[in-house]
Amino acid sequence: MKLNKKLIAVALGAAFLSAPLHAGASEKELKARMDKMAAELEELKAALKASMQKTAELEARQQQIVAAESNNASASTAAATAAATSAATATATSVATNVATTVATDVATARAETARSASGTILSGYGEINYNRPTKNASAAQTDIRRAVIAIEHRFDEKTKMVSEFEWEHGVVSASDQGESEIEQLYIERELNNGLRGKVGLFLIPSGLLNTNHEPTAYYGVERNFVETAIIPSTWREVGVGLSGDTAFGLTWDTGITTGFDLGKWDATSTEGRDSPLGSIHQEGQLAKSRDLAFHGALNWRGVPGLLLGGSVFSGKAGHNTEGFAANDARVTLYDLHARYTPGAWDLSALYARGQISNTEALNATFVGNPTPVPKSFAGWYTQAAYQLLKSGDYTLSPFVRYEQFNTAKSYAYVPQGLGVETGPDEKVTTVGANLKVGEGVVLKADYQKFKEDKSRDRLNLGMGFAY
Amino acid sequence: MRYQPLLALSACALCAPAFATQYLSAEQAQQLMFPDATAFRPQPLALNAAQMQQIEKLSGLPARSVNWRVVGAFKGDALLGYMVLDDVTGKFELISYAVGLNPDATVKQVEVLTYRESHGGEIRLPAWRRQFVGKSAAGGGLTVGEGIANISGATLSCTHLTDGVRRIAAIGQVMLKK
Amino acid sequence: MRHLLSVLAATALLAGCSGGGGSSAPASPATPISNLSAAAQLGQKIFSDASLSASGRQSCASCHAPDHAFGPVNDLSAQPGGPNLDTPGFRAVPSLRYMEKTPAFFFAADGTPTGGFDRDGRAQSLAEQAQRPFLAPHEMANASKQDVVDKLKKAAYIAEFRALYGAGITDDAEQAFSRMTFALQAFEQEAPEFHPYDSKYDQFLAGKVQLSDAELRGLALFNNPQKGNCAACHPSARGADGASPLFTDFSFDNLGLPRNTRIPATADPAYFDLGLCGPDRTDLADRKDLCGAFKVPTLRNVATRKVFFHNGAFNTLKDALGFYVRRDTNPEEWYPAGADGVIVKFNDLPPEYRANVNTAEVPYNRKPGMAPALSAAEIDDVIQFLGTLTDGYQKP
Repeated sequence: MKLNKKLIAVALGAAFLSAPLHAGASEKELKARMDKMAAELEELKAALKASMQKTAELEARQQQIVAAESNNASASTAAATAAATSAATATATSVATNVATTVATDVATARAETARSASGTILSGYGEINYNRPTKNASAAQTDIRRAVIAIEHRFDEKTKMVSEFEWEHGVVSASDQGESEIEQLYIERELNNGLRGKVGLFLIPSGLLNTNHEPTAYYGVERNFVETAIIPSTWREVGVGLSGDTAFGLTWDTGITTGFDLGKWDATSTEGRDSPLGSIHQEGQLAKSRDLAFHGALNWRGVPGLLLGGSVFSGKAGHNTEGFAANDARVTLYDLHARYTPGAWDLSALYARGQISNTEALNATFVGNPTPVPKSFAGWYTQAAYQLLKSGDYTLSPFVRYEQFNTAKSYAYVPQGLGVETGPDEKVTTVGANLKVGEGVVLKADYQKFKEDKSRDRLNLGMGFAY
Repeated sequence: MRYQPLLALSACALCAPAFATQYLSAEQAQQLMFPDATAFRPQPLALNAAQMQQIEKLSGLPARSVNWRVVGAFKGDALLGYMVLDDVTGKFELISYAVGLNPDATVKQVEVLTYRESHGGEIRLPAWRRQFVGKSAAGGGLTVGEGIANISGATLSCTHLTDGVRRIAAIGQVMLKK
Repeated sequence: MRHLLSVLAATALLAGCSGGGGSSAPASPATPISNLSAAAQLGQKIFSDASLSASGRQSCASCHAPDHAFGPVNDLSAQPGGPNLDTPGFRAVPSLRYMEKTPAFFFAADGTPTGGFDRDGRAQSLAEQAQRPFLAPHEMANASKQDVVDKLKKAAYIAEFRALYGAGITDDAEQAFSRMTFALQAFEQEAPEFHPYDSKYDQFLAGKVQLSDAELRGLALFNNPQKGNCAACHPSARGADGASPLFTDFSFDNLGLPRNTRIPATADPAYFDLGLCGPDRTDLADRKDLCGAFKVPTLRNVATRKVFFHNGAFNTLKDALGFYVRRDTNPEEWYPAGADGVIVKFNDLPPEYRANVNTAEVPYNRKPGMAPALSAAEIDDVIQFLGTLTDGYQKP
């Protein structure tokens, strides 16, 4: 043991003695290195000073922008500013100019995002141009600017926004042209204190899958499907008040009281009522008779990702106690059930809709002999399957097939002496085609539609649509 | 409004439930993601050109910003993971959200802080957000239609949020993975 | 605005007067005098004032009898007039009811002639239409407007007239005459007896009464585009704005009616009443495609009439409807044979205009040998239905 201690002492002593020698040998080196480090440090200090100056300038500008565009998304703005400053201070290794440019880019991004979220006005819109060619009658081929829509959404503050949508149909609107210009939506939405959302104005009725989601990029096929145009009269909007909210397990509910239909507008001599019963008597907020209001309710469950199950009901009288009108007791009811499932690349949907108009006996008696009396019931359903087949860059090709069956006059109220109109068979339409999405907002479509009953309507369709 | 365990939520499903649009703060989110953490340290990131290129290659999306707000969660000295804060645009409005990453850059949790659109609020549903858990940028499954289901009627919000999570997962893979 | 002021002024003035002067009150239930404006009240008096004619025995009401839906009381093809009430007329008298919605004459966007008063749409307003009967040699036969005003000055209600239009109004014959026709127009527009809308059909439209089986069948045949197709020109449906149907779309049609030899003027083979293109109306003389077209009249109160169409060719609805559906399947029933034995269709038109006749629309689109659009039993049903268009229906 004693020997060990002695050995260690000698070893340590030797080490100590040799150290200064070692040190002495690289003292010059060390000094040189220290000088170099000192110089580098001075450089870094200067760079840091410069970058901090730049950051201060940008920060000041950022504050100005934030002040001008005001309030809400303080979280993101503050974070962005904090990021900018913290980035400047943290990057001792970055070159000052590099930092400055990237901070500027970041500020620009933050500003763009701030613009979106603060109070402000957003312009959006959509359009579709369609070509239809009946296969058995080329002379009836037609190209039409089906719709051009501009939507302006203005957010007053965190809780209040105004939604408006203006539409032009068929290219040219004038007294001697066939186009139409209309207000499709015009309402205020306010988030209430308990998280519910209230609406007042002209808004879309939450019925079916298409009505509230009707941009050309949102559905398959050039033309909107028949069930949701002939039975559910998309684009269906009414004036009134609405309340909606969602629950924790994925259920969204939507209810309200609005204007309804005007059965006094029914024209038994024209075919409009046969094309779409409710479409021929809708009021759309145009000097709308409002003695009889209607209520609606919709439930949509999205508890399982990729699955939507839902339904809606709408009901209101349509006579408005009009003087000398035989159907003041008539009530219009429309209900629908729908489902949509999108596992992987598939997009499957199904919908059933049924409408009823009650108390039409006396009115239909006055229409005897005319081709289009008021139906008692009208209904339709469809199933559709689409598959995202190819995705290359921002091109996405999705072929689809849809089968729909509908009847705009499934039954009539009793007319004596057999003077009523016979009901006809359901029309059955098969549509096969594809949507080619270009990026997020543009879609090119092509499809072929085959009609079981009226074969003269078989047609090829091509379309272009966009939404932004 | 606090996020409650699913059981409690089902119980009060009958009551007027609602999520307000300003729904979680960043502090609340980090607590939810890392309940065991004792300290949270801001560890903001700044990407250089090479890193941004890598991220773009991995996620299929541009890296978009140089600077990212990242918070490291620590239990004592041990790193539990990171939380990355970000904003994306839904259809018209901003969605603020946070992605919790494990140290191996797999997704731990996704929380939505602010959602103001009228439609598509279902992205806040636990069931929908759970789809992201355990996935990584390299492993895939972070694209709508390829691992993440769409929400009917809110395709844009879904897609943009999913893209955002995928981008953050890629950032995690390139910048944070140990 | 001026109307309103003058009405207000008139009512204020009249408030001071005692009731109206004595006048031959119309037989049909008239509104209490006080509900009409001052001008309309005068119009009511002028309407029935026979002293305003050359004969002293003819007023508007003579041919447009208030208790015959303001239409003719007999089955004469054209009513006689003139100083001795023996000058023959040219056209059958129409009903004056339901004129208030008739627009002034115009060509619609697709070129269809529409509107105007008189059987050829010649007059642009009820006031304008009222002018000619005073002055026509075959009607009230006054020599001039001055002549009419001179008679007016002797009427019992002249004080009322002067009170409304000014004391010096009768000094200017032009002005006074125009005020007279204006007063007549006001009467026709305001008085509810010109548009009562109280027929069985109106009550049926309101859901208050039911039609009989035959009437309902008749309505169905009336509306059916493949059967009677009557509603194509005589619309039977309420307007989208709730307006009651007038059973006329104010358009014109050329039916190719047979020449009515009971009208003395037809004795001259060169005489043709061509409606829109003349001879009464002169502004469309160069529109040869319109020759032979006459105004679609209202069918309200048609069942009260005994003379139908512009030339009074038929005296019963059965004949009129029979003509519609068998004109082309059985022309021999309606038209005379020429010297060579061939039936001369559309003989009330010169040969060059016979191509204008409507042969395209149901029910005129038949050929000999085809079944007519309506059978005899169906015609009876339609006649039953037309009976529901008579005003003054009381639910039993």
